[in-house]
Amino acid sequence: MTAVELRSVSKSFGHHLVCRDVNLSVREGEFVTLLGSSGCGKTTTLNMIAGLEDASAGDILMNGQRVNDLSPVQRDVAMVFQNYALYPHMTVAQNIGFTLKMRKLAPTEIRTRVERVAQSLELSALLERLPAQLSGGQQQRVAIGRALVREPRVFLFDEPFSNLDAGLRVRMRVEVKELHQRLGVTSIFVTHDQEEAMSISDRIAVMNAGVVEQFGTPEEIYNQPATRYVASFIGSPRIELYAGTLEPGACRIGGVALPIGAMAAGDPEVEVGVRPEHVRLGDRGFPATVRLVQPVGPATHVTLDWEGGSLTASLPGFIRLTPGTAVKAEIDPDHLLVFDRKTGKRRAPQRPS
Amino acid sequence: MSFTRRQQGGPVVRTFIGIGLAVFVLWSAAPVVWLILSSLLEQQALISQPPDVSPAGFTLDNFIQVLYAAAALGRGIMNSAIVALFSTAVALALGAPAAYALARLPVPRANGVAFLILATQMLPGIAIAIPLFIAISRLGLIDSVFSLGVVYLSFNLPIVVWILRGFFQGIPVGIERAAAVDGAGVIATFWHIVLPISIPPMAAAAVFAFVEAWNEFFFALILTRQQAQTVPLVIAQFAGQYQTVFGQMMAAAVISVAPVIALAIVFRNQIVRGFADGMTKG
Repeated sequence: MTAVELRSVSKSFGHHLVCRDVNLSVREGEFVTLLGSSGCGKTTTLNMIAGLEDASAGDILMNGQRVNDLSPVQRDVAMVFQNYALYPHMTVAQNIGFTLKMRKLAPTEIRTRVERVAQSLELSALLERLPAQLSGGQQQRVAIGRALVREPRVFLFDEPFSNLDAGLRVRMRVEVKELHQRLGVTSIFVTHDQEEAMSISDRIAVMNAGVVEQFGTPEEIYNQPATRYVASFIGSPRIELYAGTLEPGACRIGGVALPIGAMAAGDPEVEVGVRPEHVRLGDRGFPATVRLVQPVGPATHVTLDWEGGSLTASLPGFIRLTPGTAVKAEIDPDHLLVFDRKTGKRRAPQRPS
Repeated sequence: MSFTRRQQGGPVVRTFIGIGLAVFVLWSAAPVVWLILSSLLEQQALISQPPDVSPAGFTLDNFIQVLYAAAALGRGIMNSAIVALFSTAVALALGAPAAYALARLPVPRANGVAFLILATQMLPGIAIAIPLFIAISRLGLIDSVFSLGVVYLSFNLPIVVWILRGFFQGIPVGIERAAAVDGAGVIATFWHIVLPISIPPMAAAAVFAFVEAWNEFFFALILTRQQAQTVPLVIAQFAGQYQTVFGQMMAAAVISVAPVIALAIVFRNQIVRGFADGMTKG
C-alpha cells in the first residue's frame, strides 16, 4: 500500500526552480529519508508533503487520494521542525497538548494523552517547564512528543537533529528508529547527514539541485549509486574519482590497468570511483607512497599518493605505517564504479548473456 | 530577546560613551526635575533671578491651590484618561491583526499598503486641522470625548501597525508552521501563538500610543470647548490674561505626568524590548 506518493512534483519560487519533476512513492510504514546538501530542495519537498508549501506542478497523493489542496491537518501529518519550533510561552504539557486543544478534545482526555506520550519520551518530570528551561535534547523530545500525541498517519522530520551535539544526535537517531519500529508509522525524514540517512532509513532519496538522483535502499545507494553525485555524497571517507579509459577487459587509470568485466556500450572515456574499503595494501599492485595515517578505531584510513593522484584505503584495525613509506596498493576490480564522464550516470556492468 | 552585556572598546571609548550617556540623561531628566522643583516653590522664589532654591522657598501651597480648583483638573484627567485608553485599546485591537496580516499573510502589495499607512503620518497637523474641524463640527461632535478619541485613534493606529509589523516579521516562521501542522488556522495561530509572545512590543506600542494621546494639545484645543477638555488644556489655563500662576501650573503638570511616568516605570522592560525588536527586525 502506498502511503505517500509524489507524481512529477515541481516547485518554483519566482523564476527559481527548487524541485524538478520529483517522483517518490513511500510505502505504508516505511521510513524514507530525503538526503542532500543544503539547497537541494529536500526541505521544500517535505513542506509540500506537509501542506506548508503548494506544489507548482504535479500531484501529491496520500493513500491514493490527491491531497494538493488539503491543509496540513486534513492530510493528518505531524512534523518535527529543525529548530524544534516549540511555543515559547507554553509549558511542555501545553506544547504537546496544543494540537489536541485545536481539535477540541476534552481537557481530561488531553491530559491523559499528554501524560502517556510524556511517559514514553521520559518527559513526565518536565511537563510544567517552559521550553527555555530545557536542554536541546529535551526540547527535541518535546517536539517529537508534540508530533506523537496526534497519532498521525505520516511523520515528517525536517533535519530534527541538526542543532544537537554529535553524541546526542546519535542517541536521538536510535530513539527515533526504535520509535518507528515500535509504532510503524510511515515516516519521511530530511537530513544532509549521509551517515544518519544510511543508519535510519528503509529507503533513501538522494536529491541534488532539485532532482531525485536515486531512490533506493541504503545498500543500493551505496553499492550501486546511480550517478557520480550519489557515489561521492555517500560514504565516509569519500569515494575517490579518477579519469579512466575503458579497454577490452580492463580499465586504465594513468599507467595502471585494472581488469574488469565487460561494460555496457558507450564512450570509453569514463570516470572511475574507488571506495576506500576496496583498496588493499600488500605485495602486489601498483606503487604508492603513504601520505597520512588516521586510525579511527575499527579501521585505519591510510591516504596514499600514487600515479592517479590521491587514494584513501580503509583498512581494518590499527595499521602502523609511517608517512613517506613506499607500499604497494591494489584496487578490488569487482567493486569499481564506472561513470559516464559527460552525464555522470553509472555504467552498469554488462550482464553475462 | 535578551541583551548580552559586552564591553565594547577601550577605556577611552567607554569614557566617551559614559559622558555621552550622562549628557543625554541630564538632557532628558532636567525638564522633569525642573518641573517638580518649580511646582514646590513659591511664586516669588520661582520668578526671582536666579530662582531661590533655599528651603525657605519650598511650599506645598501650589498643590493645595490646584486641588481646590480640582473640578477642572479632575475632569481634565478623566477626559485624558478616556481618550488615551480608548485610542490605545482600539489601536491595539485593530492594529495588531492588521500588522499581522501585513507581516505574514499573502496580502497583495503588503509593503505598499504598509507605506501608505505610514504616509498618513507625514502630513503636518496644521494641514488636516481645518478639514477635520469642519467635518467634526458638521457631525455635531465638537467638544466630545468620543470624537477626540477617534481622532487620536487615527494617529495611533499607523504607529501601532508599524511597531507590531516589525516585530511579527521577526518571529521565526517555524513556530507558525508548527501551529499550522498542529491544526491551528490563521486566527487560532494569531490568538494562541503570536499574540502571547508579542506582549513586549504590544506593551511598548501601548505606552507610546497612550502618551501621545495623553499629551496631545493642538487637536484637543481645536476640537474641544469645555466638557471634553483634556489635561494639557487645563494646565494651559493657569496662564491667565494678566498673570501666569507658574507654581500652580507646574503642580498641575506634575499631577498630570505622574500616571505617564508610572506607566513607563512599570512597563520599562517591555518597552525597551519591544522597541528594540521593532527596530532591529522592522
